[in-house]
Amino acid sequence: MAFKFTPRKKFCRFCADKELPLDYKRPDILQDFVTERGKIIARRITGTCAKHQRRLTREIKKSRQMALMYYTAVHSTQVRKKTI
Amino acid sequence: MKKYETLLLFSPDLSSEERKEIVEQLTNVVKEYSGEVTAVDEWGMKELAYPVKKSTRGYYIRLEYGSPGTAVHEIERVIRISESVLKFISVKVEETFESTQEA
Repeated sequence: MAFKFTPRKKFCRFCADKELPLDYKRPDILQDFVTERGKIIARRITGTCAKHQRRLTREIKKSRQMALMYYTAVHSTQVRKKTI
Repeated sequence: MKKYETLLLFSPDLSSEERKEIVEQLTNVVKEYSGEVTAVDEWGMKELAYPVKKSTRGYYIRLEYGSPGTAVHEIERVIRISESVLKFISVKVEETFESTQEA
């Protein structure tokens, strides 16, 4: 019997949950859409719709500007070293 | 009149009086432009994602106000003068703003 791999259907989290804020002031939510090195994850992987992905990138970039999220993980480890 | 918000990141070695002074200065600017400050949101001292001017912590304050767009320019100019504000961002929240004071 041939077993065919069917990946789980992806969906846009912001379309599914209208209450979920897409905001630069909420780095905790935005953190789900970047890699641990801080790169924004492509839409084809997260399943976010085009409209929300556009806003998402903008909000992530604003968040980075205000030092709420990091641009690259190297800097964030420097912060951690200093605070320890 | 539109609704705006400005998020300010203050230097960690600033006293609360000095912070208040700057916030007051900014509310006066909004008033000068016949605007109105609707909320002053203090997030408190937070760890930064990356060091800014060699400090790893900072104090966030969010200002929410309704004003004409020219006031935002003036606010950003005033912020730039003070060196204790490490970072700031101004964002339009809503297209329309109606004053709550008028009745």
